[in-house]
Amino acid sequence: MATAAARPAKVPPGFERQEINVNGANVVLFVGGTGEPLLFLHGAGTVSGFNAVTSWAQKFSVYVPYHPGFGESPDSAAFTSINDYVLHYLDLLDHLALDKVHLVGLSLGGWIAATLAAQQSPRLKKLVLIGPAGLRVPAHPTLDIFGLKPEDVPAHLVEDPAVLAPHVPDPAGPDFLDFLVNDYHEMSSYARVAWERPYDPKLARWLHRINVPTLLLYGSRDRVTPVEQSKTWASLIPHADVKIVEGAGHLVLDESAEGPRAVLDFLS
Amino acid sequence: MRWQDDLQFYSMHFMPYVHLPPDQDTYDSLWVDFSNRHYDPKKGHELYQRYFREMVLADELGYDGLVVNEHHNTVYSMMPVCTAAAAALIPVTKRAKICVFGVPVNFVMPNRLAEEYAMLDVMSGGRLEIAFPLGTGMEYWSNSVVNPASARAKFRESVDIMIQAWTKEGPTSFDGEFYNYRYLNVWPRPYQQPYPRCYIVGTGSPETIAFAAERGWGYASVFVPIAQQVKTFRLMRELMAKHGHEMTPDKAMANTIVYVAETNEIAEKEAIEHIKYYFTVTARTTPRYLAPPGYISLDQFRIRAGSATKMHGGFDWDEMTKNWRVAVGTPERVAEKIAGWCEEADSSRVICHHHVGDMPHWKVVKNMTLFAEEVIPRLRPRSIPSPAVAGVPGA
Repeated sequence: MATAAARPAKVPPGFERQEINVNGANVVLFVGGTGEPLLFLHGAGTVSGFNAVTSWAQKFSVYVPYHPGFGESPDSAAFTSINDYVLHYLDLLDHLALDKVHLVGLSLGGWIAATLAAQQSPRLKKLVLIGPAGLRVPAHPTLDIFGLKPEDVPAHLVEDPAVLAPHVPDPAGPDFLDFLVNDYHEMSSYARVAWERPYDPKLARWLHRINVPTLLLYGSRDRVTPVEQSKTWASLIPHADVKIVEGAGHLVLDESAEGPRAVLDFLS
Repeated sequence: MRWQDDLQFYSMHFMPYVHLPPDQDTYDSLWVDFSNRHYDPKKGHELYQRYFREMVLADELGYDGLVVNEHHNTVYSMMPVCTAAAAALIPVTKRAKICVFGVPVNFVMPNRLAEEYAMLDVMSGGRLEIAFPLGTGMEYWSNSVVNPASARAKFRESVDIMIQAWTKEGPTSFDGEFYNYRYLNVWPRPYQQPYPRCYIVGTGSPETIAFAAERGWGYASVFVPIAQQVKTFRLMRELMAKHGHEMTPDKAMANTIVYVAETNEIAEKEAIEHIKYYFTVTARTTPRYLAPPGYISLDQFRIRAGSATKMHGGFDWDEMTKNWRVAVGTPERVAEKIAGWCEEADSSRVICHHHVGDMPHWKVVKNMTLFAEEVIPRLRPRSIPSPAVAGVPGA
């Protein structure tokens, strides 16, 4: 499969890398573990990889797809709105013959997951939203990631830059251009759905339709989707718990062992 | 037709704002987010008055076209509405074509732009020429209600709408991906039928070259290195043939910076500081602003990220005179350089920047006059015979 950028595959340890075609959308999918199915939807940047999901594979069959236009999955011209991604993931569930899944979404993936849950709650067992984008909270707005200088992005994603450092190649080294191209690719795909605003002004109106147990997971120092947003989400989703990991930022799964464990505990 | 037989010279003005604070060099970008508190409207008024006088002079000196274009949120240009500048030029000029090169259609409604251009064409009695720019990356930050990731598709559709509005008797309808029109029926219609001469303007990206070639239009290169301009026109030639059009020298617009004086030394002494100002001050911006997300293809991004360009911030005079269309010197030297470029690119349309950067009025007048009276006759021997012509290659 032609991928947009020649990047080394970031297969989580113990996972298998698959290339599949979902009704015209070519995607790369990592699959690992056994148990009830768990679908993880990543955020707008995949630089930190997916190692955090490996602990979930002890109890679940974990599916980690790249969204079309992100990471190893090439662009699909049709994807210009969040709803396109929602329908794509319903297609993927059908493709994988998964009736009901645990759905876990981070940031952009949380926006897709929340929208899917509001439309198709019966397809879910439980829902986890980790620092989800997508909701308009005027007093605590989601950060405009496009408005940041590239050099300022890491400090906004994580509390301790050392967390991201191993994932960023040396600017003088041979891999750096691929890194930049991949980042531009993902920001371009994110711009297609979120350039105008990082939320759906109508999402709040429909979150009451989510009728599965829901966990809202945040880092207390989240600078992208401020932790205060959790209160608004929790007030709109009927069965929602909030878990806050002290000291972590937006990439709470990478920044703490507590983050991935909270997801595992909630789903078990 | 050979380029020598149809040579035309256009004078282009950016109308930059030049009264910058002493610490301007501490700003990464003088585009997009450089605060407008630095703009003094009274000084701006004086600059407009002066700049328009310079463009009127170009008409009086016999230049074939007066070129204006559009940029936003920047010191680089005081023409965020370049059709207003064109409208101001029409009643005070007589002969030159009014070249709007042009409004990025993505920032307006296509029917509205079709109307504006038709107005200018009728007002000027058919002196309008048009170029269609996608708009620089910076404009998509400054006009950030428009999504850069769909910019190219929207641009193509918008141009289609404008051409339909000009070529089909109204009212017609248009059913597109971005726009739906019930009554496309622009009043007035263009003076020139079916519509004014059109070019695509750009830096030479494959997407825009293909777009121009499909329509058989000319390509007006912005100020990029010679090799890039030549490569652009070569690809145009190939693609034009594929689409059943002929690439003629008048469809290859070469973009140049020129300065003419009594000796090469005087010319360099008078011009270089302003050319340096243009590149290091007015054009200075950041890679992020140059390439908003989705604005260029990944292939183009890879090329641009992999090779830092001298444009937009850097300056090396020796490199510039070698690789860029910069001709500074005596009339003989400038004519020789231009003839060489036209020969190399098979181009008969030369856009001259007579005003560059923070050049004062007297130098603009001197440069523009000497170029008209001493350079053009050397290159256009048939219109004004000159004994110096024999020594000019390609003349």
